[in-house]
Amino acid sequence: MPEPLIQIEGLYKLFGKNPKSVMSMVHEGRSKDDILAETGHTLGLKDINLTINKGEIFVIMGLSGSGKSTLIRHFNRLIDPTEGVIRVDNIDVMKLSPKELEEFRRYKMSMVFQRFGLMPHRTVLENVGYGLAVQGQSKAAWTAKATEWLETVGLAGYEAQYPSQLSGGQQQRVGLARALCTDAEILLMDEAFSALDPLIRSEMQDQLIELQGKLHKTIIFITHDLDEALRLGDRIAILKDGEMVQQGTPEDILLNPADDYVEAFVKDVNRARALTVETVMKPPSGRITADTIAEALVQMKALKGNHGYYVNDDGYQGIVTLDALEACSDDGSQQMSADIWQELPAISPDAMLESVIPETLEADYPLPVVDEEGNLKGELSRHNIAEILGGAEKHVEEKI
Amino acid sequence: MAESSWLKEFPEMDRVDLLAIRKGLDSAYREFSREYGEVIESFFDPLLTFLVWFEKLLLTTPWWIVIITLTALVYLASRSWKLSLSVVLSFLAIGYFGMWEHTMETLSIITVCTLLAIALGIPIGIVMARSDRARSVITPLLDIMQTMPAFVYLIPVVMLLGIGKIPGVIAVIIYAIPPVIRLTNLGIRLVDSEVMEAATAYGASSTQRLFGVQIPLAMPTIMAGINQTIMMALSMVVIASMIGVKGLGQPVLKSITNQYFTLGLFNGLAIVALAIIFDRVSQAYAKRTQRHM
Amino acid sequence: MKSFLIAVPLLIASTFVQADNTCGKVTIADMNWSSASLIANVDRFILEHGYGCDAELVPGDTMPTGTAMIEKGEPDIAPEMWSNAMKDALDKGVAEKRLRFAGKSLSDGGEEGFWVPQYMVDKDPSLATIEGIIKNAALFTHPEDPERSGFYGCPAGWNCQISSGNLYKALNLEEAGFDLIDPGSGAGLSGSIAKAYERKEAWFGYYWAPTAVLGKYKMVKVDFGSGIDKDEFTSCTSAENCLEPKVTMYPPSLVQTLTTEKFAAASPAVFDYLSKRSFKNSQMNELLAWMEDNQATGDIAMEYYLVNNKDDWMQWVPAEVAAKVEAALDNL
Repeated sequence: MPEPLIQIEGLYKLFGKNPKSVMSMVHEGRSKDDILAETGHTLGLKDINLTINKGEIFVIMGLSGSGKSTLIRHFNRLIDPTEGVIRVDNIDVMKLSPKELEEFRRYKMSMVFQRFGLMPHRTVLENVGYGLAVQGQSKAAWTAKATEWLETVGLAGYEAQYPSQLSGGQQQRVGLARALCTDAEILLMDEAFSALDPLIRSEMQDQLIELQGKLHKTIIFITHDLDEALRLGDRIAILKDGEMVQQGTPEDILLNPADDYVEAFVKDVNRARALTVETVMKPPSGRITADTIAEALVQMKALKGNHGYYVNDDGYQGIVTLDALEACSDDGSQQMSADIWQELPAISPDAMLESVIPETLEADYPLPVVDEEGNLKGELSRHNIAEILGGAEKHVEEKI
Repeated sequence: MAESSWLKEFPEMDRVDLLAIRKGLDSAYREFSREYGEVIESFFDPLLTFLVWFEKLLLTTPWWIVIITLTALVYLASRSWKLSLSVVLSFLAIGYFGMWEHTMETLSIITVCTLLAIALGIPIGIVMARSDRARSVITPLLDIMQTMPAFVYLIPVVMLLGIGKIPGVIAVIIYAIPPVIRLTNLGIRLVDSEVMEAATAYGASSTQRLFGVQIPLAMPTIMAGINQTIMMALSMVVIASMIGVKGLGQPVLKSITNQYFTLGLFNGLAIVALAIIFDRVSQAYAKRTQRHM
Repeated sequence: MKSFLIAVPLLIASTFVQADNTCGKVTIADMNWSSASLIANVDRFILEHGYGCDAELVPGDTMPTGTAMIEKGEPDIAPEMWSNAMKDALDKGVAEKRLRFAGKSLSDGGEEGFWVPQYMVDKDPSLATIEGIIKNAALFTHPEDPERSGFYGCPAGWNCQISSGNLYKALNLEEAGFDLIDPGSGAGLSGSIAKAYERKEAWFGYYWAPTAVLGKYKMVKVDFGSGIDKDEFTSCTSAENCLEPKVTMYPPSLVQTLTTEKFAAASPAVFDYLSKRSFKNSQMNELLAWMEDNQATGDIAMEYYLVNNKDDWMQWVPAEVAAKVEAALDNL
């Protein structure tokens, strides 16, 4: 049962000299352009409602100017909303006094920045320990912790260096270590990997996933890159011009884009890398569970095709074809055995589509999808894959 | 004729009215100085005591101890043997050409002026960086301080405080403080906004942000301001000596009135030597402490 | 001789038209200090309206004007010449019949000395003498050193720096507890007087007259009790290498009206006026103070002076000229 940690309700942000006075226009439903032309105020965020659960990676995605960086700055009130409620752990963040807000920022959340936000005049170690130093911890205390976290992100030995002496990827590892060092429950990551080259970026993504496997933080991750969103996100929210367009699991977004905007995003995605087998597999076309050949033939006849996946008490065993059964049908009471079924590799439902494409294409039959306990969950055919991967183009063609 | 005269000549204020304004302002200031002069003067007494003490210290300490101390300070700040050696040589030359006493007097007042300008200028610059309203008030004041000819404010300062060190220090500071204020403001405003956001996001209080992030990051710019301030303070030495500040300015003034070319040149060169030493040392210090930025 | 002098104005009066013609174009040096500028303007007005000259002011200063008069014969008149400043050259000019001194523009001459404010002398008359000052040295606290007393000397680089320094030595002021303060500039020196005066503080130092400062702030010249030893002053007190200076009061400096010989010869009537035209220091001090208070330039001060001091200047010119000048004044 997901446990809500952060709730945002009816959040509006207007930029300008006197935003409160312009809110009535916003509520009347006037367009962003109208408001800008008439009052000089820019509508940054419009009616945002979000619930983020404990322990999930929630990705907020949008193009530049969509308001995603503005939104993430509302969580720790680097930006104050014009209207709306922000609740973290049932605390109304808007009601915190300046002193309480400082405390809240020190212990509850930490943040990773696009351009790292490291302090050039502090060593790597001092940067990592910054949050703890701000909390008022002794140098000895934060040094120990910061050293540990530096090691965790793979930067042991760099303690005395200065940020300017590090590469971009290394700097962002320092940024990540700094964020983790305070042990805050919530991690805000504002385009944390966007400034890195693709190779380093994917390395960092792996590292984040690995760390999250151990730490189970609640992570809010901002990105403009759908591949990244799909790879990291448990759930994804898509922002467009300050409005929430769609919220859902990566599969929801990929397979059921809410509108043209999301669809346009989705079409460029490498689905093979974004989707798991489970999300595209079909129900198994045939399951043979019989003990004898005669019974198996009966089961096979009931199927549409001419093959079935043989499953016994030990789980999935292999594929049985109609031809093979008929060849042995002289002795109907003969027990099913390894001679009768052929070996056919099974694939895991959690595997990325990309990783199973070669096997699927090589196999003569659709590949069975079998979970860790050996249960047959479904099947994946060449045809399936072609449909999913060609899907985007099909949509485009339709539009043309 | 009467109507068209203003077309040809500027319709200026009546001479009598203008005179009344001048007289009014003059006497108001006179009143003020009569009323508050002593209080203001006594306010500066501790500073005067310090100035006198510091000057006496430099003058009574044997010359070789002064040179050793200065060179040690220069080396500590710059870690450069070359610079330290040139300091020794310049001071030996200054002493040999008979300008030791004047140089010590100038050194003492410039040191105090610079320290005061920094002590006042950095906080003002910080206030200016933190509030746009403060900036909009302070900026024109700084413009006035930098462009108003020094002689204009020397008159009221002398009326209020007489001649000597205190009015000299005030005149020098008025002229020399704007760069350190301006560049402190600029330096703080130029601090990378993401670094500031990071500090805020980690719950740094405004004091922690100021002393832990803004000032250290603004330091290269602030140092440039301090450097400028020192240079401008030194360039005021001659003008300050016009209101009785002792030092290298006196012989320069003397040489101006009497066309003593060599006297002027020597003392001018001594001022230049001090300026170069101050400049190189402060720059070397800045470079050394900020090599990571 | 005397009868001749009286006869001259009559002569001019009778041949007025002719005098008018002989005057013609006259250039008057307008020196860059207030008293000289005032006198130059007075001369201009009287020459223009009283004698019908075409008088013109040209900017000047002691040395350049004196030199130009000797070498080039212009300007025609230098109304306030501190002749000690270039005594040799001027004497030579007179001997060579290039120049002629008309009279003393300041009848008391330029006055220098050590002064204390009037209000201090009112309280303790002994302060008008150097013994009284030395006895009461503690009154005159040094602005930067409470242990010492302060004596405001002449600004660095000025000629008077030498003489005031030598007298400081001769009067043993150092032993009496006085430090010699260098005020740095004329403005610094006068500023220190103004500041002391506004607050009725003690002040002791060098100054000179006629000046606006001495007009505005009543000061008493301190009597050294030595009288004036002119030879000692020129040979030692005013010399830089004077080893054993002796006490002497400052001899007054001669302040004269100087004309070119050519002009003096051509316009005897005007030259006669210039010979008589003279101011007392006390009067000039007050005029200068009025000028400073009113931030008046020479021409405005001239107007003020001519309107308010008719008895004075009317003695310098024949009655007809006076009437013309007065008429011109009324038309202002």
